[in-house]
Amino acid sequence: MIDWSDVVAPLVVAGGGILALLLDAFGTRRSWRRSGIVSFLALVAALVVLLSPSRPDGLQQALGVLVVGGTLLVVLAAAVMEHEDSMPPGELHFLLLVSASGGLSMVLARDLATLVVSLELLSLPSIALVGLRRGDVDAARGAWTFFVVSVVSTAVTLLGIAFVYGVSGTLVYDELALRLSASRAPAEVVGAAVVLTVVGLLFKLGAVPLHLWVPGTYRGASVPVAAYLSVVSKAGAAGALVLLLPDAFGLQGESWRPVVAVAAALTLVVGNLGAWVQDDVVGLLAWSSIAQAGFVLAPMAVLTTPGVASAPIRYLAVYALANLVAFGVVGLVRRRWGGTSMAHVAGLVRVEPWTGSALVLALLTLAGFPPAVIGLVAKYVVLEPLLDPRFGTPYAWLAVVVALNVVVGLVYYLRLVAVVVGPVGPRLAGSTVSPSPPRAVVVARTAVLVPAAALVVTSVQPDLLLSWIP
Amino acid sequence: MSAVVAAVLLPLLVGGGLVLSGGRVPGRVAALAGAATTVVSAALVVAAWAASGRGEVAGEVDAAWIEAIGARWHLGVDGISFPFVLMTLLLGLLCCVSLVDHAPAGDGPPSALVGLVLVVVGAALGVFSSLDLLLFFVFFELALVPMWFVVARWGDGEGRSRAATRFLVFTVTGSALMLAGFITVGRLAGSLQLTDIAVLRVLVTGPVGMFAAVTILLGLAVKTPVWPLHTWLPDAHGSAPTVGSVLLAGVFLKLGTYGLLRVWLAVVPQQAEVLAPALATFAVVGIVWSALACLRQTDLKRLVAFSSVGHMGFVVLAVASASPLGVSAAVLGSVAHGVVTGLLFFVAGALRRRYGATSWEALGRGLWLRTPRTAGVLAFAAIASLGLPGLAVFWGELLTLRALYEVGPVLGRPLAWTLLAVAALGVVLTSAYVAALLRRVLQGVPTPDDRDGELAGSDVPVVAVLVAATVVLGVAPGLVLGVVEPDLLAVLGGVR
Repeated sequence: MIDWSDVVAPLVVAGGGILALLLDAFGTRRSWRRSGIVSFLALVAALVVLLSPSRPDGLQQALGVLVVGGTLLVVLAAAVMEHEDSMPPGELHFLLLVSASGGLSMVLARDLATLVVSLELLSLPSIALVGLRRGDVDAARGAWTFFVVSVVSTAVTLLGIAFVYGVSGTLVYDELALRLSASRAPAEVVGAAVVLTVVGLLFKLGAVPLHLWVPGTYRGASVPVAAYLSVVSKAGAAGALVLLLPDAFGLQGESWRPVVAVAAALTLVVGNLGAWVQDDVVGLLAWSSIAQAGFVLAPMAVLTTPGVASAPIRYLAVYALANLVAFGVVGLVRRRWGGTSMAHVAGLVRVEPWTGSALVLALLTLAGFPPAVIGLVAKYVVLEPLLDPRFGTPYAWLAVVVALNVVVGLVYYLRLVAVVVGPVGPRLAGSTVSPSPPRAVVVARTAVLVPAAALVVTSVQPDLLLSWIP
Repeated sequence: MSAVVAAVLLPLLVGGGLVLSGGRVPGRVAALAGAATTVVSAALVVAAWAASGRGEVAGEVDAAWIEAIGARWHLGVDGISFPFVLMTLLLGLLCCVSLVDHAPAGDGPPSALVGLVLVVVGAALGVFSSLDLLLFFVFFELALVPMWFVVARWGDGEGRSRAATRFLVFTVTGSALMLAGFITVGRLAGSLQLTDIAVLRVLVTGPVGMFAAVTILLGLAVKTPVWPLHTWLPDAHGSAPTVGSVLLAGVFLKLGTYGLLRVWLAVVPQQAEVLAPALATFAVVGIVWSALACLRQTDLKRLVAFSSVGHMGFVVLAVASASPLGVSAAVLGSVAHGVVTGLLFFVAGALRRRYGATSWEALGRGLWLRTPRTAGVLAFAAIASLGLPGLAVFWGELLTLRALYEVGPVLGRPLAWTLLAVAALGVVLTSAYVAALLRRVLQGVPTPDDRDGELAGSDVPVVAVLVAATVVLGVAPGLVLGVVEPDLLAVLGGVR
């Protein structure tokens, strides 16, 4: 039997994507506005469905809002690409929305079959999104890497799911918990099945050692698509993990908990070291988003009983807002000044006070430093479960790793902040290479300033965000 | 809104506004506005203090803030924090006054520098008046980024950016660990309110409690700094602009010593008793080491920077004694160091502006005869710094040594008296380097220089106020001690 209340929102999103594609294909001329408005309306409709009070599970609702809201901001930010001849609007919106509907079903899924189908629905269009820009070698290369690693990790996950089904005879989360521990299969086999299943999700999250696709893919993709990958794709994977680990594999904690803890620690260290040496803003954000995934992953190591999953999701929500702002600003800069190197943002605060300040705020949030109090509170939130004496603090070492990585992150974020508020560089002093049509810039700027305003408000009153995620 | 909250927020808002104004406000106007802001803040705090009774928290506010993690908007000023608050506002005021005439050149408009100074002052006020651990931490970190900009943008010399980043990395590493400690305490005690933890601190026990105590201590020891975690200090203080050095030494280091009293000794007293002997030992090593390092310095600014490690060693020693006398000595020593080192850095800054550097070669010899008044102030400050009776620093050090002599509840007699002997040796060595400084710079055959000249402009009132404060604290230490005494239990309630 189908529970339609769960399916409506993903269907609305996917339907909107298909409509956008058709309108674009049969229109007389290419129009960004037509497919963009259809996508926007479909996503708003999905948000309304998600926020209707009939949905009982607050965590899944919050995750769904995160996925749809993130996509909404990406669609708005993508308006900067209007009139870029190599970027077809219909296809872009179609792929974005279909992929988002995959991400949405992923966080609404309650069984492994739905999960793996959603994972594919999330992945395949996003591979196409990366390679979408016509005639761009970097894009094709990024998409190809992404594709190969994606296929391998999905295959591993499928293998794991096959094992899980083999030893338990079910794919439904709520039944798996008991069936797996009642299984007569050796504990090692059950453990291996569980860990293999988790691997595919760790890949989507960009966790080390499955992170190598991230930098090349983000740099090859257009900036809004990179924003999409770093926020919506990650939210889907993190959401699925947060539901799957305690609900389905809660009694198998001994097998996956060390894996998640070590992956989190490695992800933090490797991501931060990678970001440290970047001199391109997108490269820096790509590597730093690997490290940020480590912050999301760390508290999952102590996810035990169902219902204590708020810490990773709260962190993810803050990260999503900040990262969308950062990528949005970089997208604007790239469109107007034709690049994303450090030189292209030198003195941005003086040239573009509003978007420049928004970028500074986003970077301080990602670093977790006042005046971006919400970023600091997010760090607090992920450290808290690791140091909870009720769990006997077996992962206090991970808390120390997390704390030290805050320091590394601060150094490179602050280095970028210093460039952004510093003297105006020759790039920004010169004229814009591409005077975007005012409308597109206004829309894209809105997509930056709205989440930036949210960061300001939640820095004063963090409860507005935290209490909303149960 | 409570007067204390207004006093904290006012410098933050005015400072933030000046930073964001991007140079549209002329530097002198900004500096005068900054000075007025600190005066208003001071008036608010003093009014709140006068309106409250002894032994209670002045201007206390306790409102819901982040219910999701149990953090509250909980601020107030008591006898431990009041001296720190007043010292911060005094130094903030003098920094702004000094910027009226002597704004350093840097990569940014002077109004932004005034704004950053105000943000640092406001953040420090927030630390001193926070009664919630997370709020304490937010303000503790809020001061960092502005300070980094002050050193990196307005500092002297080539190494300023490196020095600023090293300072940032050291202190943030410490404070990130401290955050882990705070969270652990919060989970163990079930509350982040310092007032609750004071009642519930028996719950903070076991290895988890020790983890919390060690991480919090590490964070504060970097900030204070305690030898051997001080290596960020000389470069940062040496390369900062004058107001940066004054704020670093006068206010920033006090965040560490105040934290040792308020969120270490008071929060994890049982663990503090175990760690105190080690802490005290590091403190006396720091005293002797700093005096030896000062003997080798050939630059006035770096000498003053190194001497801070020794002064802070005395304060940490006082904290580690965990006795009522020790706590009083720690507060008095912190305030006195802020005033005297502030004076030294202002004089060094004036000399640097005149001669381009503060190395012995640049200053030349015979300053007594070349610029007698400036030389007199320098001599006064240096002698105050070595602890001459009747001047500010003397009482903090004397009370510290007496706390050791009387053997508090924590340190055993053999250890306490050994520490006493070594610290006394440190005092002797301090006299040696101060004497060396006076002989090298003030005496000798004068080497006249075209740039010779006395203190001028807004330096005159700044120096006059600090000289007066040094004398007042030296003659009447009871002004501070009388404020601290009724609230000693707020720090020592958990020590046996």
